[in-house]
Amino acid sequence: MSFLSLVVKNPFRNKTRSSLAIVGIAIGIMVIVALGMITGGLESSTQSTLKAGAAEITVSQAGSTGMESSGSINQTYATDILSLSGVKSTAGILRASNTTTATTSSNSTQGGFGGGLSITGIDSDKLSLMSIDSMNGTAFTNDSTDQVIIGKTEAQSLNKTVGDTINLYGQNFTITGTFETGNFMTDNGIVMPLSTLQNLTSNQNKVSDVLVKVTDNANVTTVSNTITNAYPNQLSTSTAADSANRINQGLGFISTASWAISLLAIFIGAVGVINTMVMTVYERTREIGVLKAVGWKNSRILGMILGESIVLTLIAFVVGTVIAVVGVEVLLTLVPSVGNAITPSFSIYIFLRAFGIALLVGVIGGLYPAYRASRLSPTEALRYE
Amino acid sequence: MNNNENIIEIKDLKKGYDNGKIKALNGMNLKVKKGEFISIMGPSGSGKSSLLNMIGGLDIADEGTIKVAGIDMMTTKNLNKFRSKEIGFVFQMHNLIPNLSVVENVEIPMYETNTSSKDMRKRALELLKSVNLGDKIDQKPTKLSGGERQRVAIARALVNKPSIILADEPTGSLDSKTGEVILDLLKDLHKKENVTLVMVTHEPYVGNMAERIITVLDGKCLSDNRTTNSK
Repeated sequence: MSFLSLVVKNPFRNKTRSSLAIVGIAIGIMVIVALGMITGGLESSTQSTLKAGAAEITVSQAGSTGMESSGSINQTYATDILSLSGVKSTAGILRASNTTTATTSSNSTQGGFGGGLSITGIDSDKLSLMSIDSMNGTAFTNDSTDQVIIGKTEAQSLNKTVGDTINLYGQNFTITGTFETGNFMTDNGIVMPLSTLQNLTSNQNKVSDVLVKVTDNANVTTVSNTITNAYPNQLSTSTAADSANRINQGLGFISTASWAISLLAIFIGAVGVINTMVMTVYERTREIGVLKAVGWKNSRILGMILGESIVLTLIAFVVGTVIAVVGVEVLLTLVPSVGNAITPSFSIYIFLRAFGIALLVGVIGGLYPAYRASRLSPTEALRYE
Repeated sequence: MNNNENIIEIKDLKKGYDNGKIKALNGMNLKVKKGEFISIMGPSGSGKSSLLNMIGGLDIADEGTIKVAGIDMMTTKNLNKFRSKEIGFVFQMHNLIPNLSVVENVEIPMYETNTSSKDMRKRALELLKSVNLGDKIDQKPTKLSGGERQRVAIARALVNKPSIILADEPTGSLDSKTGEVILDLLKDLHKKENVTLVMVTHEPYVGNMAERIITVLDGKCLSDNRTTNSK
């Protein structure tokens, strides 16, 4: 039997104690992996807002949050801004929500991220500025009054597909297409012709924001400044990068919390491993005496105990990772509103981090008991009762 | 080293415990030739086990000189290599590792000898056959009788082909009939392998099986008598 086989075999001498230690560490690993998968998923969703083809600048009324529902600025700004230097194309969009009458013809499921339906009005030839580049089905026509397209997440949430009808503002609309942009906010909404939404919400010639796509060689910040300078105290701008940074800042907090939990997991796990391994060394004192008597070096005894500790934590890594992956998938399936909005990340970095933490816990937790075992006096160890 | 040379040479050896309050060895003198079978007898606390521990390199004396298999035990730092190569221990309580099989227990001392797993297994099987345990190689020690466990311990002690076997009350935990079988086995192996056998016992009938009986009292050698078994 090789030395490695011996090290792998030894932790299972006391199955109950080893299993409890593994469960303790596995819980920590599970939290680290699950949080990593969710945070990573949110981060990649944020990155997709910077997709090529989409508008780089959102123009809103000065002092607004940029996410206003209902029209707050004149639609004519879209045409005016187009004449500014560095602007390639513009699109006025109207945002509205349909929280009270959001029922559908086939069921009464209330969709939307956090309830209510998010509806955006935009001309069909400007859809690319919302990152809607392709779709299943076709886009609505600008002059239609009963056609919408729907984001993939919302479609799944409402169990709708191309050809189905949906009731909005007391009126039936036919779904002509479904789309997926990767941005969970956009994918969780409905898009219809701008003029139709303006009529439904009594916002004729008004828009919430103007989306601006800059020319290929233009600098986004320069164009953004040009717009605010052209309309001081009237319009404000935010770039896609700004929005992404704001979201990333929020995600940064989650990431920091994830690291704090990781550190806590390391600490709790290490204490658990130290306890398990110290007990092991106590119980096997006489055996360690025999190993010394037959010529084992201190370093081999240290390696054996340390190895056993690492075996425990690596098993915990596998158990914790499997539970995290299955758990996140089950959770996202059971809660569709969250599940449809977040695609969990399976980045190798998340698993490497968990592996590194498991290894670290194994080394930290095993070091003291291993050192203690290696320093035992053989005669005292052999006398141990 | 031929059989006329001393494999163990001890001169005026002293060892105290508890800050010198307990004098386990108090001027011990002993010479043992290679291939001899000696028994060390004496009452509890006389220094038998301490003497065995010094010979086996498990403990270091405070004063005096002790040379075992040509190694100066007072100055040599790394005694684990010496123990691995020169010494085989047989304890009163067999001290087998419970979660390992019989054959795996016998392989344990070979980890420090750079022997391949295949050769380790071959050597362990050879020895288990020689102690009549060839049919129990995969059993766990808990499934064996006391005598069988002690035979495994003897196989383990011999696995690195040591020059000295140190047996501390090898029959102490066995009934007299099983004890006799174990002693016969030790004697046979001692003859076959030309290994020096040093056995600590407090039972006269066990001690009488040796070629020399060393009687120890108060940490000193009280008498050194050859028996009828002497060559």
